[in-house]
Formats: sequence, C-alpha cells, structure tokens
Amino acid sequence: MLHVIEPGLQTTLQGAPRRGHRHFGVAYSGPADPLSMALANRLVGNAGEATGLEITYGGFSAEARSPCSIALTGAHGGVSVNEVPASDHRTLHLSRGDQLQVRAPTSGTRCYLAIRGGFDAAVYLGSSSTYLPAGFGGLDGRSLQLGDDLIAPHAGPWDRQIETPHALRPVFLNAFALRACPSAETDTLPSKDVEMLFREKYTLGRQTSRMGVFLKGHPMQPRSDGMMKSVPVFPGTIQCPPSGDPIILLCDAQTTGGYPRIAHIARCDRHLLGQLRPGNSVRLIKRTPNAAVQDLRAKNALFQPWLGFDPI
Amino acid sequence: MRARLTAVQIAEDVFEIAVDTPADAQRLALELRKIGLAEDVVAGINRVAVSFDPARHDQVMAWMDDLPQTVPTNEAPPPAVDIPIQYGGEFGPDLANVCAALGMTQAAFVDLHSSCTHAVDMIGFTPGFAYISGLPDSVSVPRLDMPRPRLIAGSVGISGALTGIYALAGPGGWPLIGHTSVCLFDKDRESPFLLAPLQTVRFVPI
Repeated sequence: MLHVIEPGLQTTLQGAPRRGHRHFGVAYSGPADPLSMALANRLVGNAGEATGLEITYGGFSAEARSPCSIALTGAHGGVSVNEVPASDHRTLHLSRGDQLQVRAPTSGTRCYLAIRGGFDAAVYLGSSSTYLPAGFGGLDGRSLQLGDDLIAPHAGPWDRQIETPHALRPVFLNAFALRACPSAETDTLPSKDVEMLFREKYTLGRQTSRMGVFLKGHPMQPRSDGMMKSVPVFPGTIQCPPSGDPIILLCDAQTTGGYPRIAHIARCDRHLLGQLRPGNSVRLIKRTPNAAVQDLRAKNALFQPWLGFDPI
Repeated sequence: MRARLTAVQIAEDVFEIAVDTPADAQRLALELRKIGLAEDVVAGINRVAVSFDPARHDQVMAWMDDLPQTVPTNEAPPPAVDIPIQYGGEFGPDLANVCAALGMTQAAFVDLHSSCTHAVDMIGFTPGFAYISGLPDSVSVPRLDMPRPRLIAGSVGISGALTGIYALAGPGGWPLIGHTSVCLFDKDRESPFLLAPLQTVRFVPI
C-alpha cells in the first residue's frame, strides 16, 4: 500500500483506455503517454495496461506502508527514496516506511509510476482509468488527495530488478516534431494555411489539459460558417475553431465536435502529446496515411522485443 | 439513402462514411459495430467514423471496399420520454436573447419548443450529452461567442435548430434556454444513460 503524502497538481490512476463507448459520449482516458506507462509496467513485470499513476508536473510523495516493487518512467525532475536519489527506468524495491519523492520535471509533463500487480481501482465501463469530468474510474473518479491510501494487493516485493535499455528511454525536450495526416476538413482551409500548418513552428498554448492543447503563433482563417454539424473526433484530431488557433485533442477528448478537423496526429507520435507543456515548440510533419502506418510499424518494432507487445 | 456508401480515410487509423440522416448514421454504426473489426464506431449527425488498429489495415481496407450498400432498419428505438423543462430563469439566461434573435416572444418560443416532437440525433461530446432535433429548420441559433466556463448539469441549450442537454456540469458554448431536473447520465444507475439515439423526446414546460 502507498500512502499519499503530497498528491501533486494532478495525479490520477490510469489503466487501459475505455474503448468502445464513444457513441455514448464516453472518452477513452487512460495514460496521456501510454508508451511511458507500458515501459513502467514492464519494469515490475505487469501487463502493459496495468493500472498505474499518472503524475502531472511532479510534486508527488508517498510512503510505502508495506514492501512493494515500483518503477518510474516518463518526465520527472528526479526521484528519491528516503531523500537518496534513485533511478527512473529501473525496478525499485521499497520497504515498509520508505518515503518516495517525485520532483517536478524540467521538460515533459507527466511521470508514470507502476507498481507490481497494479493498483486497485474502480472499474467503470470496462476500464480502471480515471475520467475527471464525469468523476468515474480510478479512485472515486478524482485525482489523488493528501492522505489517500492506494491499495496494491500484489505489490511484491518482486524478486527481480531490471532496467529499460538505454536506447528505449524516451527523452522529452522542449521541441516536438509530430507526424500528422491531413483530415476530413483540411480542404476548408485556404491552401496557404495548409502549407503553414505543416511548415511553421507553433508554440504550445498556456491552456493544457488531458482533453486538448492549443497551437499558438500562426492563426488560420478557416472558411467555416460556424454552423458545421457535429462530427466524430478522437485523440489526435486537430480541430480549427473560429479563432484560428488549432487544438490537438488528447486522451480525454470529447467524442464529437463542431469545428473543422484539419489534421490528425499519427498514432506513432500520439503518445508524445502527453508530454507537451506550455511554451514548447511544435512542428507538424505531413505524412500520408500509408506512410503513417509504416512509421507506426517501425516504432512498434523498436519496442516490441523489450515489451513483448506493440505498445502504441 | 444515398446510392453508394463510400469510406474516406481521415487518419491512418480512422475511416469516415457520409450518410444523409442521423437515423442512417445510427443504423449503419450498429451494423458496423457487429462486425467487430473496429476499435470504435461513432455516429455523428451525418457521418459514421470507424477507428481501427492499423495492424489490421489490410483487413479493414477490404472491409471498407465492401461496405453494405443498404442500411437495414434495425430494432425500434426505446419508448418516448417526456423531459420537463423550466424555461428561462436563472439557468436559462439566454432565453431572452434567443427569442429576440428569432423575432419571437418567449411564450411563442416555449410553445413551439414544447409542441414539436423531437428525436435524439446522437449522444456525444461528454457522457450522455444528447443532440436533439425537432425544431423547424427556420430556427437557427448561433453558438455563444465565448463558451461559458461553467454551467450546471441539466442545462438545456440551443445550437442551430438542435436542442442539447448538458449531462455534466462543465464548460459549454450553446445558448441556454432552460434547465431540466432529469439526470441524463448517472454513473451509479443500472442504465447510466437516460436517452438513446433515435428515441422520441417531448419537452414539457414546468
């Protein structure tokens, strides 16, 4: 069991996405950076989508109330156990009373903590993932609070200690190049705007959430009358509202939207959306759907031997 | 129904099929869901989107090339529902503006809205949010210039000629004309979603 001492800005339990319910308006949820979550789960011998913690902007600390094996991946500004620096991307064995601290990252946004056997969480519509807007999944559908006890019935200790191979540790900088395909309403943009979309360097806006992020700096002039009928949208959809600043949708994306869908982040790079932070520079690299499928195969092939499955 | 259904790829893992009506969209979505190849099948008002695992790309491509060319009529929607609405007031702050834009008195608008037979075009946006049609096409209400940062669950809005009921508290961009006390989404209810697509809805002023 982990006892929460400092919950951080927004720490939630996340497991597999809640697939197959979008036609009831139910978002996928799940980790915003599922690759990092899968890498953390690997280090404690879990299935890739076992329920772990998504820690946003660090500032998290907890005490082990019983021996357990954990691992941390993703963005963080340092991990310590009893104030002694500890490694990320490596199995950590905590004894009863050990205090874990996860500091704020200097780049990237979300850190992932996996525990041997996964955390207990409220499964709703087939998934343990927390969806904050409707308050379901995870721990009472909310983010963690001081004093919460996180139950992990099979937490170990595990008899192994392993490390992510160095070549497979994602590094998050302050600039992101994201591959993207044109989408259904790309043609509603003037052609100069389409060229701009796949050429210019955007700055990530200050408003960010698990629902979406804004790309600022090069507003478009969508030729939409604002009366478009609502259409299905997904994580990765890039919408263009009347303001002209594109919005990239993330894992908690609404299921339908009324703005033109001007591009779609390729699945191979969608896991990176969970690590974007305000002020980062973002460039979109134009891909055809066929090229994006090849890109995905290539990235999965890189991680498959270590993880044992295609993580993205 | 249009002569031929055609799937357009709108991402490397999403196809979309244009249809004519919400009923066509719902029925086609139901058919496509039965095949079980997709990760998700989402009906819009006049589209059906199919998201899939690109590892099954070739299989899905073959499937999309061989779409059913008629949409069968499925089982009847659930029985009609009456939804009580408190028009105007604290939780319908835009009623006066909406009526002014439409050139109607509030009484005439309430009478029109509550005398039409409506139907759920789709559920989407957030859990349980219902897009409901039934007002004549001559009614056309634009969205707010700036979405409200916060509204309460049960808020009833108008956009274009659609009525929308917010199932959750949260932000919202539709002008609000009233409020209902019925709960469209209750996670603890055996059937969490009150409304289903194509279901008939009557609004009852209170």
